Amino acid sequence: MKLRFAFFLVLPAALLAQDIVAPTTGVKVGPQHGENAGDYNIVQSWEFGYRFASVSGNQDEYRSDVNYTNGVRLLSSYLTVNSKDGHGGWFDEIVLTTQGLGNDPYESVVARVQKNRLYRYDMTWRQNDYFNPGLTVANGDHVQNTTYRWQDHELTLFPQSSIRVRAGYGRVTQDGPALTTQQEFDNQSAVYPIFRNVRQEFNEYRLGADGQAKGFRFTVQRRWEYFKEDSADSTASALTFNRSAPYRGNTPGWLGNLYGERRWFALNARFTYAGTKGDFVQNETAMGLDRFGTTQNRQVIVTGNGNRPVTTGDFNFTLFPAGRLSIVNNTSVANTRMVGNNEFEQFDNATFTVSNINFQMLSVRLVTNSTDIRYRFSRKLDLFGGFQYADRLIRSTEDFAVTGAPLAGLTAQQSNHTNAGIAGVNWLPLKNLRLHLEGEVGRNDNPFAPISLRNYHAIRSKIQYRTRNLTLSGGYRQNYNNNSIQITAYSSRSRTYNAEASWNVRPWASLDGSYSKLHLDTIGGIVFFAGLPEFASNQEITGNQSIYVSNIHSVNLGFRFALSKRADLYVGYNLTKDTGDGRSSLAPQPTAVGQLLYDVQTFPLTYHSPLARVSIRITEKLRYNLGYQYYGYNEQFGLFSTYQNFHANTGYTSLMWSF
Amino acid sequence: MLPGPSMRFIAISLFALPFGLMGQSASQTNHYVGSDVCKRCHPDVWLNFNKNPHYKSIASGKEPAEKTGCEGCHGPGGNHVAAGGGKATIRAVSLMSPDQVLDTCLACHSKDLSRANIHRSQHTEANVVCSNCHSIHKAATPKFLLAKTQAELCYTCHATVRAQFNMPERHRVNEGAMQCTDCHNPHGSFAPSWRTGTDKGMVTQAFDNEQPCLKCHVDKRGPFVFEHGSVRVEGCDACHVPHGSTNAKLLRRPVVFTVCLECHNGEGTFGRENLGVFAMSSSHNMLDPKYQKCTLCHVRIHGSNADPTFLR
Repeated sequence: MKLRFAFFLVLPAALLAQDIVAPTTGVKVGPQHGENAGDYNIVQSWEFGYRFASVSGNQDEYRSDVNYTNGVRLLSSYLTVNSKDGHGGWFDEIVLTTQGLGNDPYESVVARVQKNRLYRYDMTWRQNDYFNPGLTVANGDHVQNTTYRWQDHELTLFPQSSIRVRAGYGRVTQDGPALTTQQEFDNQSAVYPIFRNVRQEFNEYRLGADGQAKGFRFTVQRRWEYFKEDSADSTASALTFNRSAPYRGNTPGWLGNLYGERRWFALNARFTYAGTKGDFVQNETAMGLDRFGTTQNRQVIVTGNGNRPVTTGDFNFTLFPAGRLSIVNNTSVANTRMVGNNEFEQFDNATFTVSNINFQMLSVRLVTNSTDIRYRFSRKLDLFGGFQYADRLIRSTEDFAVTGAPLAGLTAQQSNHTNAGIAGVNWLPLKNLRLHLEGEVGRNDNPFAPISLRNYHAIRSKIQYRTRNLTLSGGYRQNYNNNSIQITAYSSRSRTYNAEASWNVRPWASLDGSYSKLHLDTIGGIVFFAGLPEFASNQEITGNQSIYVSNIHSVNLGFRFALSKRADLYVGYNLTKDTGDGRSSLAPQPTAVGQLLYDVQTFPLTYHSPLARVSIRITEKLRYNLGYQYYGYNEQFGLFSTYQNFHANTGYTSLMWSF
Repeated sequence: MLPGPSMRFIAISLFALPFGLMGQSASQTNHYVGSDVCKRCHPDVWLNFNKNPHYKSIASGKEPAEKTGCEGCHGPGGNHVAAGGGKATIRAVSLMSPDQVLDTCLACHSKDLSRANIHRSQHTEANVVCSNCHSIHKAATPKFLLAKTQAELCYTCHATVRAQFNMPERHRVNEGAMQCTDCHNPHGSFAPSWRTGTDKGMVTQAFDNEQPCLKCHVDKRGPFVFEHGSVRVEGCDACHVPHGSTNAKLLRRPVVFTVCLECHNGEGTFGRENLGVFAMSSSHNMLDPKYQKCTLCHVRIHGSNADPTFLR
């Protein structure tokens, strides 16, 4: 009986296992309810281990898709410290979770410290090492990861009182190689863009307060944001090139919100403003030899600034005229105005050759209104419906002039109107059976781009049967859009089907599985230029279409098995298989243009990953874990004339310890 | 006119008596008993309740009875105690309708900005309410009391999203580098300031009114002298699939030139000038591989300060 009880305790947590090989989520060590130390109760576990990876095939694709490497890690940790009576000294609660610290490509720390009624501090820190394969350049012509780091801190004073004060700080940095605009040429005039280290930094400071008066709650927040990029390029390989392009931007922002709720109505009003500004200077110098061997040099200087104030206002009004009926009306206004100008100066061989100024303005004013009505006939049946309307006005000015000459701008204006209706039903025909069905139909009279929504509809449905130990569900979604006009046509059709099952077979065994099929087919008219032997020069090619067909089958399986109370085994399998449009190879086409378009219509591939994980209890406070995961990536045919296939055996071995 | 103060008191007392008796009767049949009484029969729930955020109401000692501890959510326990237990004598969440669950939780939790749109969220419309995602007594996460870790919780209903995050190119949600709530607000969101604002998708807004992608990809935010109109007007998903894709860079197509040409086809009525999104340059020979890789040269495709065609 005790054994069964223990399994019941472990099982729900164990089911939380993630689909990747580590860390050993869900399994805990140490006393179930922690240990007391003075006025506090402590729960903690630390998982130290070694991760290994062996990769064959295309290393660049592996690093793009997986990126785990060898090394010692603090794979995961979990710590909570709680005061026993809610009256601790400096704090009442500490929560700390970490993942991948050491050198995993995905590292994170999440912490919370709070003292009841006095303060609450939340912190998130994440680091993501990602690999930019630069596929369009040379199938990955560098070896370094680019690192994103995020952190956010939020301090709330008097979190339980009617007036709360909040202060926050956020920071995002990016450091590592990225594709630059610097290019090198070979003697065939082929262009090779260069990867250089970028340095970007974003800092955000927030200060705000929440208050409550006469049943209404209000929020005010002030934000200051600063962005800078001071990446510099320099090379002396094929030619001497130097670029300095410092960029500085700042965004002062405001947010105000008012919220109130009564028995028969609720209202919410919000106002936001962000006045983004940026200043830049770009200085490029290049020296080298031209095709005749003559020394050439060029300097380009660009200076200017950009502004983009964004203002939004929202008003929500919810009515509950009867217990079974709710009506929500929302009106939102967003105004975005982007204005930028620069002065471009170019010197060739120390001679002033180009000098011009540019001015660009793009403003978007968007007004949306939606009304949603829901009526509950009974606890088993309710209907909902709504209507949405959007009015978008786009204004644009593009101006260019040689310095000193008058501006002769191109100004334009257009408006779009979108009308959409939605209706749906929630129905519980049987005790444990639940159905959801909804549909949406929309019309946009003047879409911005050829692929934008114009005449569209969506269907979303879901069925779920759920008992204590078994959940079965299925769903279907359909999104169709037709944006065809006179010359070109664009049509997009996506259909997804899914089915899932989750079964707690026994207290010591459970099974989870899901299958999804994601179908997408699009067709769009395109126009381009091509030079063929039969053409004297580039000719405009019309009447062709860009076709893309994708049929992705996705399987996710997980089986958990507990061997007495000492061992826990998890076996899983993930599969992504795009069968494309059914073709098994790229067949030769009669024309070069036909071949160009035919080759990119579909991209069948298989990506699968079986995994297994075992966790063995050595003592109450110590567990040994071993995990293995295989990754297989297989393109059916290479779009870039090369196959990026890889196979990887990865895993980890670790000790989970509570001391 | 009443004869004097004493008579006036008697009259008022007689008038008020029935109401007083009624109130007394009600409080006798069901009244607040305090959490200490609950823990005698529910020690399993009480054992770790000091770690639950709702314990603050007990520790405070200053909250009214209807907002304190167990009875803050489950209502007065007098009848429940008198009956020796039973779900029918208490406000059991498992027996509540979705609206009742919502009302119970929002009685205290409506004041946060993140829940300002909860009445119009798609989750509410689909009867997915607080108790579908949050587990007050058996939470898997100490913060937010989620019933499972966040991604697993969302995958419970969104299996196709799980499929997308298992694709070779993806945002790293399964790896723990991101969470669904980095981009979505499951409690409902304000109308987006991009596209035509009607997509409800519960997408949260970065910096209060911009696309969520820019929260991390701050270098794409600008402002730029030359903005790529589609980025601001239609949004990042004009070119990218946010969850996962079989295509590099989470693009909508396996090669970049089809992404570009499907818009840049010169067709009238589209674009900033309403005269069409301009077609590619006649100097580009699409049969030359280097011209098939548009972003090889148009590197600043998200926006440039120096060049209107995003070359530098």
